[in-house]
Amino acid sequence: MQVTLKIERYNPESDESRQETFSVDVVEEATLLDVLDVIKDEVDGSLTYRKSCRMAVCGSCGMRMDGDAVLACKTPMRPLVEAGEVPVISPMGNLPVLKDLVVDMEPFWAKFRAIKPYLDDGGEEPPVKEWRVQQEELDRVMTEALCIQCGCCVSECNSMEADPDFLGPAALAKAARFVNDVRDRGGKSRLEIYNGPHGVWDCTRCYFCNQRCPKGVHPRDAIAKVGAAIYQEGMHSDGGARHAKVFVKSTHQTGYLLETHLVPETVGPVNAIKEIPFALRLARAGKVPNPLKPHKAKKLDEVRKLHKLIESQEQATLEAANAGPTRPPADPAQAKESE
Amino acid sequence: MVRHDVVVVGAGLAGMRAAIEASRYGADVGVVSKLHPTRSHSGAAEGGINAALGNAGEDDPQKHTFFTVKGSDYLGDQDAIAVMCEEGPGDIYELEHMGAIFSRTDDGRIAQRPFGAGGAPRTCYAADITGHVLLHVLYEQLVKSGVTVYEEWFALDLVTDGERCVGVTAWDLVRGGVQGVEASAVIMATGGLGRMYRGTTNAYACTGDGMSMAWRAGVPLKDMEFMQFHPTTLKSNGVLITEGARGEGGYLRNSEGDRFMFNYAPNAGELASRDVVSRSEQTEIDEGRGVDGCVLLDLTHLGAKRINERLHGSRELAMDYAGVDPIEEPIPVRPGSHYHMGGIDTDVWGHTLMPGLYAAGECACVSVHGANRLGGNSLLETVVFGRRTGAAAAQDVRRNGSGGVFSPSAAAIAERSIGRMLDKNDGERPHVLRQELADAMYDNAGIFRSAEGLEACKAKVEELRERYDRGVVVQDKGRDFNTDLIQAIELGSMLEMADCLVTGAIARTESRGAHSRLDYPERDDEAWLRHTLAFYDEGQVRLDYRPVTITEYEPAVRSY
Amino acid sequence: MKSSYAYYPGCLASLSQKELDTSTRAIADKLGMTLVDIPCSTWCGAGDVHEARPEYYLHLNARILGQAEQLGQDTLMTICNVCTLNLRQANAKLQADPELLQRVNRNLKEVGAASYSGGVDVRHLLWEIAEGDGYEKLKQIAEKPLTGIKIAPFYGCQILRPSRLLGFEDPDRPQSLERIIEACGAQPVDYPSKIKCCGFPIVLARAEVALGELIQPLAEAKEAGADAMVTPCPLCHLSLDAWQGKASREADMEFDLPIFHLAQLVGAAAGLSYDELQFKRHVVKAYPVTDKIYQGV
Repeated sequence: MQVTLKIERYNPESDESRQETFSVDVVEEATLLDVLDVIKDEVDGSLTYRKSCRMAVCGSCGMRMDGDAVLACKTPMRPLVEAGEVPVISPMGNLPVLKDLVVDMEPFWAKFRAIKPYLDDGGEEPPVKEWRVQQEELDRVMTEALCIQCGCCVSECNSMEADPDFLGPAALAKAARFVNDVRDRGGKSRLEIYNGPHGVWDCTRCYFCNQRCPKGVHPRDAIAKVGAAIYQEGMHSDGGARHAKVFVKSTHQTGYLLETHLVPETVGPVNAIKEIPFALRLARAGKVPNPLKPHKAKKLDEVRKLHKLIESQEQATLEAANAGPTRPPADPAQAKESE
Repeated sequence: MVRHDVVVVGAGLAGMRAAIEASRYGADVGVVSKLHPTRSHSGAAEGGINAALGNAGEDDPQKHTFFTVKGSDYLGDQDAIAVMCEEGPGDIYELEHMGAIFSRTDDGRIAQRPFGAGGAPRTCYAADITGHVLLHVLYEQLVKSGVTVYEEWFALDLVTDGERCVGVTAWDLVRGGVQGVEASAVIMATGGLGRMYRGTTNAYACTGDGMSMAWRAGVPLKDMEFMQFHPTTLKSNGVLITEGARGEGGYLRNSEGDRFMFNYAPNAGELASRDVVSRSEQTEIDEGRGVDGCVLLDLTHLGAKRINERLHGSRELAMDYAGVDPIEEPIPVRPGSHYHMGGIDTDVWGHTLMPGLYAAGECACVSVHGANRLGGNSLLETVVFGRRTGAAAAQDVRRNGSGGVFSPSAAAIAERSIGRMLDKNDGERPHVLRQELADAMYDNAGIFRSAEGLEACKAKVEELRERYDRGVVVQDKGRDFNTDLIQAIELGSMLEMADCLVTGAIARTESRGAHSRLDYPERDDEAWLRHTLAFYDEGQVRLDYRPVTITEYEPAVRSY
Repeated sequence: MKSSYAYYPGCLASLSQKELDTSTRAIADKLGMTLVDIPCSTWCGAGDVHEARPEYYLHLNARILGQAEQLGQDTLMTICNVCTLNLRQANAKLQADPELLQRVNRNLKEVGAASYSGGVDVRHLLWEIAEGDGYEKLKQIAEKPLTGIKIAPFYGCQILRPSRLLGFEDPDRPQSLERIIEACGAQPVDYPSKIKCCGFPIVLARAEVALGELIQPLAEAKEAGADAMVTPCPLCHLSLDAWQGKASREADMEFDLPIFHLAQLVGAAAGLSYDELQFKRHVVKAYPVTDKIYQGV
């Protein structure tokens, strides 16, 4: 079948950007990567992109198709050809472009390195054999462990666009992989790394990362897990955590949101005072509810009891998770020797 | 120009394990890799890593050794195999302590499942993404170690001072330009060369560059003619469906719906050795009992739950690249080139015959796989010998220090050579030669070989080498991120390695393991129980031989 | 479109965005939708409770769904993106995992709340009137077409993504708002960031980042010639409307874009008045556009 693509090219030596159209013949099962290969071989050898495994496991070939990041090797062309579409192929977003469809991944790897991306054994001597860990415990990190570091999530991250220093979905998903690994002893000091000004509280919850991830990692959900861990450890120094605290407290205090508490508790009293003109503008439009008469849900006692009940159940789970991995039982042969 | 005590070329499992170990021994380590480490092909491994942990039943390293020796069709060096099998469990436990996410038994130990020709369930696994999990855990440890990584640097040539290796030259893909990388020890860990075949499980990056570098510098390559064909690859693009699918109970059926493997391997059936299964499948296909050039891998009886839990990755691959949901339908599969048993000749510590040069992983040949590799033993080899080689290199450097002078003109010479490649404007494009090579190799140096076919293949390879030497055209003339240039250089590596492989195959007039000669269908221990060595001789392949190390197990008839 | 829905306005529509609730009830009447109030429901917990206390979030939403079920309703209608994702996600989890549902119900029972059997579907008003008989009804009631008014649709995030939980339309190229704008007689205006984030979840904790996001749809819609914007989410509305001044200062650009709630757009086309739709509750005054609508100015 014939495939036509428009490709956003960039030549670093001449600092020239241009869009080029290519039409080539490929087999029915061709992926976007196959099309690029044919173009490079038969039409223009200077077309530049990364590739390796062609089976969606190495993470090399992330690029944008019509503005949305995909893995080229996992994108079949037939549906597009049948719909008569001519996609525009461009490099991933939020990373500097080196040449054509190749981005500079160094900022991406720098954030990876910044999150302490290795198991913290706490200096404890490991057992001779394996740590005893239940499959269900490891299942808690399996989703994040699927990540191939392709960058598709980062490409579309709305927060990172506005704050280029945001650690981002890939790095934070990797963080979650350790936070929830029962063998990791990083504890609060590990969580502090993700609690900074460009950490989890930067996430705007746009869910673009979940939507674009080609491996089912659900980075947004991973960020939420790290946020939950920080919150549940009582680390409430960041405005983001304090914001969440108001939300949680409001729930059993009124069953709704105590909007008026939100600003002072999140940004602190000093900044709250600076927002008074803003608040007055809202008040003029009638948007500030009466702080003395908060909107309350009926049967609030059910909600309060529910909160207490769940809190006690959560406490048990948290303790189990913090207990760390299990050592294998003593080797009976060794025990016999020492007798 | 950069300088380190130990330079590792290649950052897959073997390379990273070697770098980490050398670093632990106090060496200043640099890693040169043409890809970012986690892009390495080790990540595509699926099914598992073998070790005699004894978690699925009674087991011991001697059993593992025996089945590996048998699997190698008695060409494996038994002392090396014993080392790998004995040290294996310790390496697995270490990986687990590093954080590897192995699947578990009910009581929380590392789970093990049966794999082809293993004799017992000995394959540890992480669902069906074992390679990915191990690759990432080693990268984490590499980051922790603080070792310098020169990413997207393509190593070009070994630099020698007399008999010693003193480093490599490398092309900086990102910024352009040749860099000198000086080292007291160079560890080659550049993986395999499946891309010389049409129909391969291998990534585009698997082009045998490290083997080629070593060969051109005078280091012999061992057992090059032994190429393993994996039985279950997808027709559209050669992608691998793990042996673990059969380990979990999957069946292979022909067009008549029969589980034909029991005709060829009455005891092991689908879990016979890979070379046996591949040959059986090819025979079924050639004799008209295939389905569209394939046989059928049937997982439908395993049920959705089992498939989603244990074979989730395989399911995704089947849906993405074969348009089939294995929960509902069988997957059409056929043999594809997969793993190269041969490689740079080393001892059990990764030493090559050249002082200062070491090798580990798929690019090396110790030999632990002999004429055919068992599934699950490749991942094991990378960590065991990666570790040993890293340790050996670091200790040798500490003892002996630097041995030679890195010629200041080495980089300039390489620059000129690259300049010549970029200047050529009339001639053939590399992909033309690449395709001709891939077809010739698959057709004539594949699963079933014969003198006629191999001679024709040799002639073709020689013709292609000549055409390549006349100069291929690199259309991208830029210095920044020139992948067109890299692909042209990789083609050169493949042509040289193809020559070594085919020359060895022509000479070996027997069938053993993965080397199957239609004109010499029997194994001939008297004449051929020996390793082939391929030397560089003014650009041509000169063969020599070396005996196999037999310790415990006298060669016997190999049947499953 | 269903004849009756368990009506779930959520927190903002009951508080600072009251005009959304008022407008919704008014157009439901016109559309022939019966909205059954859920008297004892709470808010959905929004993103923060979902993240910080996932078990609490799950139970809260299970309780809401249980209450809807108790009222004999099989469909719960939302008018907020965040409520939609929160309720649909909880629902999907509970429907997929019988053991989980059992455990949650045990807890609900223990505190005296009604349990949930998994029999409720959650739908946003947007979906009910963007296609099928709902769309036909919309066209019928749009007796005062908003001719000559250019409206830029702003979808926001959680009505589209993650699409496996929402799934109403193509998350990358949605068209529901455009169809509704057209049905109301107005002209939809296209621009790239209509599906990006308004920044509301972090507008307090990370004001600069949020404004960096918010500026994009405002500036692009303005440059594309929009007279006003419409959104199906009261949080996006609050961002686009109440924070428009801050965005304007940050970008050094005048936006002057009145922001319509979806229900207000429909209401205006259906002939409801400025007061009935409570336009005066907007921070960015709506009258440059509503004058055009109501007085043909």
